[in-house]
Amino acid sequence: MTSSTLPMTNDIEKPPAFWMRWLDLNDKALAVLLLAPTAFLLALIIVYPVLRLGYTSFFNLSLTSGLPAEFVGLDNYRLMISDPVFWETTWNTVLITLITVPGALVVGLALALLANLPFRTQWPVRLSLLVPWALPLSFAGLIFAWFFHSEYGVVNDVLNRFGLPGVIWFNSPNWAFAAICLTIIWKTSSFMALIILAGLQTIPRSLYEAADVDGAGRIRQFWEITLPLLKPSIAVGLIFRTITSLQTFDIPYMMTGGGPGTSTQTLAMYIHQNTVSFLDLGYGSALAVVMFALSMCVTAVYLWVIRTKEQD
Amino acid sequence: MSAVPTRGLPSLLSGKPLRFAAAALLIINGMFPALWILFTSLKTEAELTVKPITWLPHDPTLSNYMRAFSDQPLHLFLFNSFMVALLSTCLTLFVSVLGAYALARLNLKYRGLILSLIIAVSTFPLVTLLVPLFEIMRALNLLNTWVALVLPYTVLSLPVCTLMLVSFFESIPRDLENAAMIDGCTRLGALFKVVVPLCAPGVFTAGILAFVNAWDEFLLALSFNSSPTLRTLPVGIQLYQGEFAFPWPVISAALVVGIVPVAVLIVIFQERVVSGLTAGGIKG
Repeated sequence: MTSSTLPMTNDIEKPPAFWMRWLDLNDKALAVLLLAPTAFLLALIIVYPVLRLGYTSFFNLSLTSGLPAEFVGLDNYRLMISDPVFWETTWNTVLITLITVPGALVVGLALALLANLPFRTQWPVRLSLLVPWALPLSFAGLIFAWFFHSEYGVVNDVLNRFGLPGVIWFNSPNWAFAAICLTIIWKTSSFMALIILAGLQTIPRSLYEAADVDGAGRIRQFWEITLPLLKPSIAVGLIFRTITSLQTFDIPYMMTGGGPGTSTQTLAMYIHQNTVSFLDLGYGSALAVVMFALSMCVTAVYLWVIRTKEQD
Repeated sequence: MSAVPTRGLPSLLSGKPLRFAAAALLIINGMFPALWILFTSLKTEAELTVKPITWLPHDPTLSNYMRAFSDQPLHLFLFNSFMVALLSTCLTLFVSVLGAYALARLNLKYRGLILSLIIAVSTFPLVTLLVPLFEIMRALNLLNTWVALVLPYTVLSLPVCTLMLVSFFESIPRDLENAAMIDGCTRLGALFKVVVPLCAPGVFTAGILAFVNAWDEFLLALSFNSSPTLRTLPVGIQLYQGEFAFPWPVISAALVVGIVPVAVLIVIFQERVVSGLTAGGIKG
Protein backbone atom coordinates (compact mmCIF):
# COMPACT_ATOMS: atom_id res chain seq x y z
CA MET A 1 0.00 0.00 0.00
CA THR A 2 2.95 2.25 0.36
CA SER A 3 4.65 2.27 -2.97
CA SER A 4 3.25 0.46 -5.94
CA THR A 5 6.47 0.80 -7.90
CA LEU A 6 8.17 -1.95 -5.90
CA PRO A 7 7.57 -5.58 -6.81
CA MET A 8 5.46 -7.88 -4.63
CA THR A 9 8.54 -9.62 -3.17
CA ASN A 10 9.16 -6.41 -1.30
CA ASP A 11 8.63 -8.17 2.04
CA ILE A 12 11.45 -10.62 1.55
CA GLU A 13 13.95 -8.46 -0.23
CA LYS A 14 13.52 -5.52 2.07
CA PRO A 15 17.03 -4.10 2.41
CA PRO A 16 18.43 -4.91 5.85
CA ALA A 17 19.08 -2.12 8.31
CA PHE A 18 22.35 -0.28 7.87
CA TRP A 19 24.22 -2.07 10.68
CA MET A 20 22.97 -5.46 9.56
CA ARG A 21 24.23 -4.78 6.06
CA TRP A 22 27.54 -3.77 7.57
CA LEU A 23 27.72 -7.07 9.44
CA ASP A 24 26.82 -9.12 6.37
CA LEU A 25 30.39 -9.49 5.22
CA ASN A 26 32.20 -11.98 3.11
CA ASP A 27 33.72 -14.98 4.86
CA LYS A 28 37.20 -13.60 5.16
CA ALA A 29 36.18 -10.31 6.73
CA LEU A 30 33.70 -12.08 8.98
CA ALA A 31 36.41 -14.47 10.18
CA VAL A 32 38.67 -11.57 11.08
CA LEU A 33 35.83 -9.86 12.90
CA LEU A 34 34.83 -12.98 14.82
CA LEU A 35 38.35 -13.95 15.84
CA ALA A 36 39.35 -10.39 16.75
CA PRO A 37 38.16 -10.52 20.40
CA THR A 38 40.05 -13.79 20.97
CA ALA A 39 43.15 -12.38 19.33
CA PHE A 40 42.90 -9.16 21.35
CA LEU A 41 42.60 -10.99 24.68
CA LEU A 42 45.41 -13.41 23.89
CA ALA A 43 47.62 -10.54 22.76
CA LEU A 44 46.94 -8.51 25.91
CA ILE A 45 47.13 -11.31 28.48
CA ILE A 46 49.60 -13.72 26.87
CA VAL A 47 51.64 -12.47 23.91
CA TYR A 48 52.60 -9.03 25.18
CA PRO A 49 53.27 -10.30 28.73
CA VAL A 50 55.49 -13.10 27.39
CA LEU A 51 57.60 -10.59 25.46
CA ARG A 52 57.61 -8.27 28.43
CA LEU A 53 58.67 -11.15 30.68
CA GLY A 54 61.75 -11.89 28.62
CA TYR A 55 62.58 -8.18 28.46
CA THR A 56 62.19 -7.53 32.19
CA SER A 57 64.36 -10.51 33.04
CA PHE A 58 67.38 -8.59 31.71
CA PHE A 59 66.73 -5.62 33.98
CA ASN A 60 67.32 -4.77 37.56
CA LEU A 61 63.84 -3.62 38.45
CA SER A 62 62.98 -3.44 42.10
CA LEU A 63 59.95 -1.45 43.14
CA THR A 64 61.18 -1.16 46.71
CA SER A 65 64.31 0.76 45.73
CA GLY A 66 62.31 3.24 43.67
CA LEU A 67 65.15 3.38 41.13
CA PRO A 68 64.39 3.28 37.41
CA ALA A 69 64.93 -0.01 35.61
CA GLU A 70 68.56 -0.63 34.78
CA PHE A 71 69.76 -2.99 32.06
CA VAL A 72 71.95 -5.65 33.65
CA GLY A 73 72.21 -8.25 30.89
CA LEU A 74 72.34 -11.76 32.26
CA ASP A 75 72.94 -10.72 35.87
CA ASN A 76 69.56 -12.02 37.05
CA TYR A 77 70.30 -15.39 35.51
CA ARG A 78 73.80 -15.45 37.02
CA LEU A 79 72.29 -14.63 40.40
CA MET A 80 69.79 -17.41 39.91
CA ILE A 81 72.42 -20.05 39.19
CA SER A 82 74.19 -19.23 42.43
CA ASP A 83 70.95 -18.95 44.42
CA PRO A 84 70.46 -22.12 46.51
CA VAL A 85 66.77 -21.29 47.09
CA PHE A 86 66.18 -21.27 43.31
CA TRP A 87 67.64 -24.76 43.04
CA GLU A 88 65.76 -25.98 46.08
CA THR A 89 62.40 -24.65 44.90
CA THR A 90 62.94 -25.98 41.39
CA TRP A 91 63.90 -29.37 42.77
CA ASN A 92 60.82 -29.35 45.02
CA THR A 93 58.63 -28.56 42.01
CA VAL A 94 60.17 -31.33 39.92
CA LEU A 95 59.92 -33.77 42.83
CA ILE A 96 56.25 -32.91 43.40
CA THR A 97 55.66 -33.56 39.69
CA LEU A 98 57.55 -36.86 39.74
CA ILE A 99 55.59 -38.06 42.78
CA THR A 100 52.09 -36.69 42.28
CA VAL A 101 51.63 -37.21 38.53
CA PRO A 102 52.21 -40.98 38.60
CA GLY A 103 50.43 -41.05 41.97
CA ALA A 104 47.35 -39.36 40.54
CA LEU A 105 47.48 -41.69 37.54
CA VAL A 106 47.49 -44.86 39.66
CA VAL A 107 44.79 -43.62 42.05
CA GLY A 108 42.77 -42.15 39.19
CA LEU A 109 42.94 -45.39 37.21
CA ALA A 110 41.75 -47.34 40.26
CA LEU A 111 38.90 -44.90 40.86
CA ALA A 112 37.90 -45.03 37.19
CA LEU A 113 37.84 -48.83 37.15
CA LEU A 114 35.66 -48.84 40.27
CA ALA A 115 33.38 -46.15 38.87
CA ASN A 116 32.96 -48.09 35.63
CA LEU A 117 31.18 -50.94 37.42
CA PRO A 118 27.52 -51.30 36.45
CA PHE A 119 25.92 -49.33 39.29
CA ARG A 120 22.14 -49.08 39.45
CA THR A 121 22.27 -45.39 40.38
CA GLN A 122 25.04 -43.42 38.81
CA TRP A 123 24.84 -40.03 40.46
CA PRO A 124 26.46 -40.72 43.86
CA VAL A 125 29.53 -42.15 42.16
CA ARG A 126 29.69 -39.39 39.56
CA LEU A 127 29.30 -36.75 42.24
CA SER A 128 32.08 -38.22 44.36
CA LEU A 129 34.44 -37.84 41.42
CA LEU A 130 33.26 -34.29 40.73
CA VAL A 131 33.50 -32.91 44.27
CA PRO A 132 37.29 -33.14 44.59
CA TRP A 133 37.65 -31.61 41.13
CA ALA A 134 35.34 -28.68 41.92
CA LEU A 135 36.83 -27.99 45.34
CA PRO A 136 39.24 -25.04 45.00
CA LEU A 137 42.89 -26.07 45.42
CA SER A 138 43.32 -23.50 48.16
CA PHE A 139 40.37 -24.95 50.07
CA ALA A 140 41.79 -28.46 49.68
CA GLY A 141 45.08 -27.18 51.11
CA LEU A 142 43.36 -25.74 54.18
CA ILE A 143 41.15 -28.79 54.70
CA PHE A 144 44.12 -31.15 54.56
CA ALA A 145 46.20 -28.90 56.80
CA TRP A 146 43.46 -29.57 59.36
CA PHE A 147 43.47 -33.30 58.52
CA PHE A 148 47.20 -33.46 59.23
CA HIS A 149 47.03 -31.31 62.39
CA SER A 150 49.39 -32.91 64.90
CA GLU A 151 47.07 -32.65 67.94
CA TYR A 152 43.52 -32.73 66.67
CA GLY A 153 43.88 -33.95 63.09
CA VAL A 154 41.92 -36.92 61.85
CA VAL A 155 44.97 -38.55 60.22
CA ASN A 156 46.84 -38.86 63.50
CA ASP A 157 43.63 -40.02 65.17
CA VAL A 158 43.29 -42.87 62.68
CA LEU A 159 47.00 -43.74 63.10
CA ASN A 160 46.50 -43.85 66.88
CA ARG A 161 43.50 -46.13 66.52
CA PHE A 162 45.71 -48.59 64.66
CA GLY A 163 48.24 -48.38 67.46
CA LEU A 164 50.67 -46.25 65.50
CA PRO A 165 52.20 -43.09 66.94
CA GLY A 166 50.96 -39.78 65.54
CA VAL A 167 53.27 -37.72 63.35
CA ILE A 168 54.03 -34.03 63.80
CA TRP A 169 53.56 -33.50 60.08
CA PHE A 170 54.53 -29.89 59.57
CA ASN A 171 57.67 -29.77 61.73
CA SER A 172 59.77 -32.04 59.58
CA PRO A 173 60.60 -31.29 55.94
CA ASN A 174 60.01 -34.86 54.82
CA TRP A 175 56.68 -35.38 56.56
CA ALA A 176 55.46 -31.96 55.42
CA PHE A 177 56.44 -32.84 51.87
CA ALA A 178 54.64 -36.16 52.15
CA ALA A 179 51.49 -34.47 53.45
CA ILE A 180 51.53 -32.01 50.54
CA CYS A 181 52.01 -34.79 47.98
CA LEU A 182 49.17 -36.86 49.45
CA THR A 183 46.88 -33.84 49.31
CA ILE A 184 47.77 -33.09 45.70
CA ILE A 185 47.23 -36.72 44.72
CA TRP A 186 43.81 -36.74 46.38
CA LYS A 187 42.82 -33.46 44.77
CA THR A 188 43.95 -34.31 41.24
CA SER A 189 43.19 -38.04 40.96
CA SER A 190 39.48 -37.38 40.44
CA PHE A 191 40.03 -35.37 37.27
CA MET A 192 42.30 -38.13 36.04
CA ALA A 193 39.59 -40.67 36.90
CA LEU A 194 36.95 -38.71 34.94
CA ILE A 195 39.15 -38.61 31.83
CA ILE A 196 40.05 -42.30 32.11
CA LEU A 197 36.41 -43.21 32.78
CA ALA A 198 35.37 -41.50 29.55
CA GLY A 199 38.02 -43.57 27.77
CA LEU A 200 36.84 -46.80 29.45
CA GLN A 201 33.29 -46.23 28.27
CA THR A 202 34.40 -46.15 24.63
CA ILE A 203 35.96 -49.64 24.76
CA PRO A 204 33.57 -51.99 22.96
CA ARG A 205 32.25 -54.89 25.07
CA SER A 206 32.74 -57.24 22.14
CA LEU A 207 36.51 -57.14 22.63
CA TYR A 208 36.15 -58.64 26.10
CA GLU A 209 33.67 -61.21 24.81
CA ALA A 210 36.10 -62.29 22.14
CA ALA A 211 38.87 -62.52 24.74
CA ASP A 212 36.57 -64.67 26.89
CA VAL A 213 36.06 -67.03 24.00
CA ASP A 214 39.82 -67.20 23.49
CA GLY A 215 40.15 -68.07 27.15
CA ALA A 216 42.09 -64.97 28.22
CA GLY A 217 41.82 -64.35 31.97
CA ARG A 218 40.58 -61.14 33.55
CA ILE A 219 44.03 -59.90 34.41
CA ARG A 220 45.35 -60.56 30.92
CA GLN A 221 42.30 -58.75 29.51
CA PHE A 222 43.17 -55.72 31.62
CA TRP A 223 46.78 -55.61 30.42
CA GLU A 224 46.08 -56.48 26.81
CA ILE A 225 42.76 -54.77 26.09
CA THR A 226 41.90 -52.16 28.69
CA LEU A 227 45.27 -50.53 29.22
CA PRO A 228 46.37 -50.27 25.56
CA LEU A 229 43.01 -48.79 24.55
CA LEU A 230 43.19 -46.29 27.39
CA LYS A 231 46.54 -44.98 26.17
CA PRO A 232 45.16 -41.82 24.48
CA SER A 233 43.09 -40.78 27.53
CA ILE A 234 45.98 -41.52 29.86
CA ALA A 235 48.37 -39.50 27.70
CA VAL A 236 46.09 -36.46 27.73
CA GLY A 237 45.53 -36.76 31.46
CA LEU A 238 49.25 -37.11 32.18
CA ILE A 239 50.22 -34.09 30.12
CA PHE A 240 47.56 -31.84 31.66
CA ARG A 241 48.59 -33.04 35.11
CA THR A 242 52.29 -32.47 34.44
CA ILE A 243 51.74 -28.92 33.27
CA THR A 244 49.53 -28.00 36.22
CA SER A 245 51.94 -29.74 38.57
CA LEU A 246 54.81 -27.50 37.44
CA GLN A 247 52.68 -24.55 38.58
CA THR A 248 51.94 -25.98 42.05
CA PHE A 249 51.22 -23.09 44.38
CA ASP A 250 47.93 -23.15 46.27
CA ILE A 251 48.26 -26.36 48.26
CA PRO A 252 51.78 -25.89 49.71
CA TYR A 253 51.07 -22.18 50.26
CA MET A 254 48.02 -23.02 52.35
CA MET A 255 49.46 -26.06 54.14
CA THR A 256 52.98 -25.03 55.06
CA GLY A 257 53.64 -21.62 53.52
CA GLY A 258 56.78 -23.28 52.12
CA GLY A 259 58.11 -24.31 55.53
CA PRO A 260 59.77 -25.56 57.56
CA GLY A 261 62.37 -23.15 56.18
CA THR A 262 62.09 -23.36 52.42
CA SER A 263 61.83 -27.15 52.36
CA THR A 264 58.37 -27.28 50.76
CA GLN A 265 58.54 -24.07 48.75
CA THR A 266 57.82 -24.47 45.03
CA LEU A 267 59.09 -22.43 42.10
CA ALA A 268 55.70 -20.73 41.72
CA MET A 269 55.81 -19.74 45.38
CA TYR A 270 59.32 -18.35 44.96
CA ILE A 271 58.23 -16.32 41.93
CA HIS A 272 55.28 -14.99 43.90
CA GLN A 273 57.51 -14.15 46.87
CA ASN A 274 60.04 -12.26 44.76
CA THR A 275 57.37 -10.40 42.82
CA VAL A 276 54.71 -9.57 45.37
CA SER A 277 56.60 -9.60 48.68
CA PHE A 278 60.06 -8.37 47.65
CA LEU A 279 58.78 -6.44 44.58
CA ASP A 280 61.93 -7.57 42.76
CA LEU A 281 60.39 -7.78 39.30
CA GLY A 282 63.65 -8.40 37.43
CA TYR A 283 64.59 -11.48 39.41
CA GLY A 284 60.98 -12.68 39.52
CA SER A 285 60.89 -12.51 35.71
CA ALA A 286 64.11 -14.49 35.32
CA LEU A 287 62.64 -17.21 37.56
CA ALA A 288 59.43 -17.21 35.55
CA VAL A 289 61.37 -17.63 32.29
CA VAL A 290 62.74 -20.90 33.66
CA MET A 291 59.28 -22.13 34.54
CA PHE A 292 57.99 -21.01 31.17
CA ALA A 293 60.70 -23.02 29.42
CA LEU A 294 59.92 -26.09 31.51
CA SER A 295 56.23 -26.06 30.67
CA MET A 296 56.78 -25.22 26.99
CA CYS A 297 58.72 -28.48 26.73
CA VAL A 298 55.72 -30.37 28.09
CA THR A 299 53.33 -28.49 25.77
CA ALA A 300 55.51 -29.43 22.80
CA VAL A 301 55.16 -33.07 23.79
CA TYR A 302 51.40 -32.54 24.10
CA LEU A 303 51.03 -31.08 20.59
CA TRP A 304 53.14 -33.90 19.24
CA VAL A 305 50.93 -36.52 20.94
CA ILE A 306 47.79 -34.87 19.54
CA ARG A 307 49.22 -34.79 16.07
CA THR A 308 50.19 -38.46 16.12
CA LYS A 309 46.73 -39.24 17.52
CA GLU A 310 45.09 -37.45 14.59
CA GLN A 311 47.25 -39.34 12.11
CA ASP A 312 46.20 -42.70 13.56
CA MET B 1 24.11 -47.81 32.19
CA SER B 2 22.40 -51.09 32.71
CA ALA B 3 22.28 -52.66 36.12
CA VAL B 4 23.00 -56.09 34.68
CA PRO B 5 26.47 -57.39 35.50
CA THR B 6 28.29 -57.18 32.21
CA ARG B 7 30.62 -59.71 30.72
CA GLY B 8 34.13 -58.46 30.39
CA LEU B 9 34.34 -57.14 33.90
CA PRO B 10 36.15 -59.14 36.51
CA SER B 11 33.37 -61.46 37.73
CA LEU B 12 34.46 -60.90 41.31
CA LEU B 13 33.64 -57.24 41.07
CA SER B 14 30.29 -57.57 39.36
CA GLY B 15 28.85 -59.24 42.46
CA LYS B 16 26.46 -57.08 44.41
CA PRO B 17 28.36 -56.87 47.73
CA LEU B 18 31.56 -55.91 46.00
CA ARG B 19 29.81 -53.35 43.87
CA PHE B 20 28.49 -51.89 47.09
CA ALA B 21 31.99 -51.82 48.58
CA ALA B 22 33.33 -50.09 45.47
CA ALA B 23 30.62 -47.43 45.68
CA ALA B 24 31.37 -46.92 49.37
CA LEU B 25 35.07 -46.51 48.67
CA LEU B 26 34.44 -43.97 45.90
CA ILE B 27 32.00 -41.98 48.00
CA ILE B 28 34.26 -41.90 51.06
CA ASN B 29 37.21 -40.83 48.92
CA GLY B 30 35.24 -38.03 47.29
CA MET B 31 33.08 -36.81 50.13
CA PHE B 32 35.00 -37.39 53.34
CA PRO B 33 37.07 -34.17 53.35
CA ALA B 34 34.01 -32.03 52.67
CA LEU B 35 31.99 -33.91 55.31
CA TRP B 36 34.78 -33.62 57.85
CA ILE B 37 34.90 -29.86 57.37
CA LEU B 38 31.12 -29.76 57.79
CA PHE B 39 31.38 -31.70 61.08
CA THR B 40 34.21 -29.47 62.29
CA SER B 41 32.20 -26.35 61.51
CA LEU B 42 29.41 -27.59 63.80
CA LYS B 43 31.65 -28.30 66.79
CA THR B 44 32.33 -25.92 69.66
CA GLU B 45 35.87 -24.76 70.32
CA ALA B 46 35.78 -26.78 73.56
CA GLU B 47 34.80 -29.98 71.79
CA LEU B 48 37.57 -29.52 69.29
CA THR B 49 40.31 -29.64 71.91
CA VAL B 50 39.10 -32.85 73.55
CA LYS B 51 41.34 -35.88 73.15
CA PRO B 52 40.77 -38.37 71.68
CA ILE B 53 39.03 -36.27 69.06
CA THR B 54 35.33 -36.74 68.40
CA TRP B 55 34.11 -37.54 64.90
CA LEU B 56 30.49 -36.44 64.92
CA PRO B 57 29.71 -33.16 66.68
CA HIS B 58 28.19 -33.92 70.13
CA ASP B 59 26.55 -30.64 70.56
CA PRO B 60 26.05 -29.09 67.10
CA THR B 61 26.17 -25.31 67.02
CA LEU B 62 25.77 -22.72 64.30
CA SER B 63 27.75 -20.09 66.17
CA ASN B 64 30.84 -20.71 64.02
CA TYR B 65 28.87 -19.58 60.98
CA MET B 66 27.93 -16.33 62.77
CA ARG B 67 31.58 -15.81 63.63
CA ALA B 68 32.67 -16.60 60.08
CA PHE B 69 30.59 -13.65 58.90
CA SER B 70 31.46 -11.32 61.78
CA ASP B 71 35.22 -11.97 62.13
CA GLN B 72 35.88 -11.21 58.45
CA PRO B 73 33.69 -9.65 55.74
CA LEU B 74 32.81 -13.07 54.34
CA HIS B 75 29.83 -11.63 52.46
CA LEU B 76 32.24 -9.32 50.59
CA PHE B 77 34.56 -12.21 49.73
CA LEU B 78 31.58 -14.13 48.39
CA PHE B 79 30.33 -11.13 46.44
CA ASN B 80 33.74 -10.45 44.88
CA SER B 81 34.28 -14.09 43.97
CA PHE B 82 30.80 -14.31 42.51
CA MET B 83 31.05 -11.13 40.45
CA VAL B 84 34.53 -11.91 39.14
CA ALA B 85 33.49 -15.44 38.22
CA LEU B 86 30.23 -14.30 36.63
CA LEU B 87 31.79 -11.47 34.61
CA SER B 88 34.63 -13.61 33.35
CA THR B 89 32.19 -16.41 32.47
CA CYS B 90 30.05 -14.04 30.39
CA LEU B 91 33.07 -12.57 28.66
CA THR B 92 34.55 -16.04 28.02
CA LEU B 93 31.30 -17.26 26.49
CA PHE B 94 30.83 -14.21 24.29
CA VAL B 95 34.37 -14.29 22.95
CA SER B 96 34.54 -18.06 22.52
CA VAL B 97 31.14 -18.29 20.77
CA LEU B 98 32.34 -15.85 18.13
CA GLY B 99 35.74 -17.49 17.70
CA ALA B 100 34.40 -21.04 17.71
CA TYR B 101 31.82 -20.14 15.08
CA ALA B 102 34.50 -18.80 12.77
CA LEU B 103 36.58 -21.95 13.27
CA ALA B 104 33.66 -24.33 12.84
CA ARG B 105 31.84 -22.72 9.91
CA LEU B 106 34.01 -20.41 7.85
CA ASN B 107 36.45 -22.27 5.69
CA LEU B 108 39.56 -20.66 7.04
CA LYS B 109 42.91 -21.12 5.41
CA TYR B 110 44.82 -21.27 8.68
CA ARG B 111 42.23 -23.24 10.65
CA GLY B 112 44.66 -26.00 11.69
CA LEU B 113 47.29 -23.50 12.77
CA ILE B 114 44.81 -21.46 14.81
CA LEU B 115 43.46 -24.58 16.50
CA SER B 116 46.99 -25.73 17.38
CA LEU B 117 47.70 -22.30 18.83
CA ILE B 118 44.56 -22.44 20.93
CA ILE B 119 45.47 -25.90 22.19
CA ALA B 120 48.94 -24.65 23.10
CA VAL B 121 47.41 -21.71 24.98
CA SER B 122 45.08 -24.08 26.86
CA THR B 123 48.10 -25.46 28.68
CA PHE B 124 49.69 -22.07 29.23
CA PRO B 125 51.10 -21.54 32.75
CA LEU B 126 49.55 -18.22 33.68
CA VAL B 127 51.71 -18.21 36.84
CA THR B 128 54.77 -17.35 34.79
CA LEU B 129 53.11 -14.13 33.65
CA LEU B 130 52.67 -12.93 37.21
CA VAL B 131 55.29 -10.19 36.82
CA PRO B 132 54.25 -8.74 33.45
CA LEU B 133 50.54 -8.99 34.28
CA PHE B 134 51.23 -7.27 37.57
CA GLU B 135 53.06 -4.50 35.67
CA ILE B 136 50.28 -4.18 33.09
CA MET B 137 47.54 -3.99 35.71
CA ARG B 138 49.59 -1.48 37.67
CA ALA B 139 50.18 0.65 34.58
CA LEU B 140 46.50 0.57 33.67
CA ASN B 141 45.58 1.35 37.27
CA LEU B 142 43.60 -1.86 37.47
CA LEU B 143 45.15 -3.39 40.59
CA ASN B 144 42.43 -3.93 43.19
CA THR B 145 39.60 -3.97 40.68
CA TRP B 146 37.47 -6.84 39.41
CA VAL B 147 38.80 -6.23 35.89
CA ALA B 148 42.34 -7.18 36.97
CA LEU B 149 41.04 -10.71 37.56
CA VAL B 150 38.25 -10.90 34.97
CA LEU B 151 40.67 -10.51 32.03
CA PRO B 152 43.19 -13.21 33.03
CA TYR B 153 40.42 -15.59 34.14
CA THR B 154 38.76 -15.17 30.77
CA VAL B 155 41.98 -16.13 29.04
CA LEU B 156 42.33 -19.07 31.45
CA SER B 157 39.05 -20.62 30.27
CA LEU B 158 38.90 -19.26 26.72
CA PRO B 159 40.90 -22.02 24.96
CA VAL B 160 39.00 -24.96 26.48
CA CYS B 161 35.62 -23.28 25.94
CA THR B 162 36.48 -22.43 22.33
CA LEU B 163 37.56 -26.00 21.57
CA MET B 164 34.42 -27.37 23.18
CA LEU B 165 32.17 -25.02 21.26
CA VAL B 166 33.90 -25.76 17.96
CA SER B 167 32.95 -29.41 18.30
CA PHE B 168 29.40 -28.52 19.37
CA PHE B 169 28.91 -26.13 16.44
CA GLU B 170 30.22 -28.72 14.01
CA SER B 171 27.45 -31.07 15.16
CA ILE B 172 24.69 -28.64 14.10
CA PRO B 173 23.58 -29.20 10.48
CA ARG B 174 24.40 -26.31 8.20
CA ASP B 175 20.95 -26.52 6.58
CA LEU B 176 19.32 -24.98 9.61
CA GLU B 177 21.51 -21.92 9.35
CA ASN B 178 21.11 -21.69 5.61
CA ALA B 179 17.34 -21.77 6.04
CA ALA B 180 17.56 -18.91 8.52
CA MET B 181 19.75 -16.96 6.15
CA ILE B 182 17.34 -17.45 3.27
CA ASP B 183 14.68 -16.06 5.57
CA GLY B 184 16.66 -12.85 5.69
CA CYS B 185 18.93 -13.44 8.66
CA THR B 186 22.54 -12.35 8.40
CA ARG B 187 25.24 -14.83 9.28
CA LEU B 188 25.65 -13.30 12.71
CA GLY B 189 21.90 -13.22 13.12
CA ALA B 190 21.79 -16.93 12.28
CA LEU B 191 24.58 -17.56 14.78
CA PHE B 192 22.74 -15.97 17.69
CA LYS B 193 19.19 -16.94 16.67
CA VAL B 194 19.78 -20.50 15.46
CA VAL B 195 23.18 -21.96 16.31
CA VAL B 196 23.63 -20.73 19.88
CA PRO B 197 20.12 -21.77 21.02
CA LEU B 198 20.60 -25.21 19.48
CA CYS B 199 23.95 -25.51 21.24
CA ALA B 200 22.58 -24.17 24.53
CA PRO B 201 23.65 -27.25 26.51
CA GLY B 202 27.19 -26.94 25.18
CA VAL B 203 27.37 -23.21 25.79
CA PHE B 204 26.02 -23.78 29.28
CA THR B 205 28.59 -26.50 30.05
CA ALA B 206 31.39 -24.26 28.84
CA GLY B 207 30.00 -21.57 31.14
CA ILE B 208 30.06 -23.85 34.19
CA LEU B 209 33.68 -24.81 33.53
CA ALA B 210 34.65 -21.15 33.17
CA PHE B 211 32.81 -20.29 36.38
CA VAL B 212 34.48 -23.05 38.40
CA ASN B 213 37.92 -22.10 37.02
CA ALA B 214 37.42 -18.50 38.10
CA TRP B 215 35.96 -19.47 41.48
CA ASP B 216 39.05 -21.62 42.21
CA GLU B 217 41.82 -19.26 41.17
CA PHE B 218 44.09 -18.15 44.00
CA LEU B 219 47.54 -16.89 42.95
CA LEU B 220 46.49 -13.96 40.75
CA ALA B 221 43.74 -12.96 43.17
CA LEU B 222 46.28 -13.01 45.99
CA SER B 223 48.76 -10.93 44.00
CA PHE B 224 46.51 -8.36 42.32
CA ASN B 225 43.64 -7.76 44.72
CA SER B 226 44.94 -7.34 48.23
CA SER B 227 42.67 -4.49 49.25
CA PRO B 228 40.34 -5.70 52.03
CA THR B 229 37.16 -4.87 50.14
CA LEU B 230 38.20 -6.63 46.91
CA ARG B 231 39.53 -9.94 48.17
CA THR B 232 38.00 -13.04 46.65
CA LEU B 233 37.03 -16.06 48.73
CA PRO B 234 40.27 -18.10 48.48
CA VAL B 235 42.28 -15.01 49.43
CA GLY B 236 39.95 -13.96 52.22
CA ILE B 237 39.65 -17.38 53.77
CA GLN B 238 43.26 -17.46 54.90
CA LEU B 239 42.75 -14.32 56.98
CA TYR B 240 40.86 -16.13 59.72
CA GLN B 241 44.06 -17.43 61.23
CA GLY B 242 45.18 -15.13 63.97
CA GLU B 243 48.81 -14.59 64.83
CA PHE B 244 48.87 -17.48 67.28
CA ALA B 245 45.44 -19.04 67.12
CA PHE B 246 43.98 -21.03 64.27
CA PRO B 247 40.22 -21.00 64.84
CA TRP B 248 39.50 -24.21 62.92
CA PRO B 249 35.73 -24.33 63.51
CA VAL B 250 35.33 -20.80 62.14
CA ILE B 251 37.61 -21.49 59.17
CA SER B 252 35.63 -24.67 58.50
CA ALA B 253 32.37 -22.73 58.55
CA ALA B 254 33.78 -20.22 56.07
CA LEU B 255 34.99 -23.10 53.87
CA VAL B 256 31.55 -24.70 53.92
CA VAL B 257 29.99 -21.39 52.89
CA GLY B 258 32.52 -21.15 50.06
CA ILE B 259 31.94 -24.71 48.88
CA VAL B 260 28.13 -24.52 48.77
CA PRO B 261 27.69 -22.39 45.59
CA VAL B 262 29.92 -24.61 43.45
CA ALA B 263 28.52 -27.75 45.06
CA VAL B 264 24.97 -26.69 44.13
CA LEU B 265 26.10 -26.03 40.58
CA ILE B 266 27.69 -29.45 40.12
CA VAL B 267 24.91 -31.34 41.89
CA ILE B 268 22.35 -29.88 39.48
CA PHE B 269 24.42 -30.08 36.32
CA GLN B 270 26.67 -33.07 37.06
CA GLU B 271 26.06 -34.94 33.83
CA ARG B 272 26.82 -31.91 31.69
CA VAL B 273 29.91 -31.06 33.70
CA VAL B 274 31.30 -34.56 33.26
CA SER B 275 30.66 -34.57 29.52
CA GLY B 276 32.17 -31.11 29.15
CA LEU B 277 35.25 -31.96 31.19
CA THR B 278 36.00 -35.13 29.31
CA ALA B 279 35.27 -33.58 25.91
CA GLY B 280 37.59 -30.70 26.72
CA GLY B 281 40.21 -33.14 27.90
CA ILE B 282 40.10 -35.62 25.10
CA LYS B 283 39.23 -33.55 22.08
CA GLY B 284 41.16 -30.57 23.38
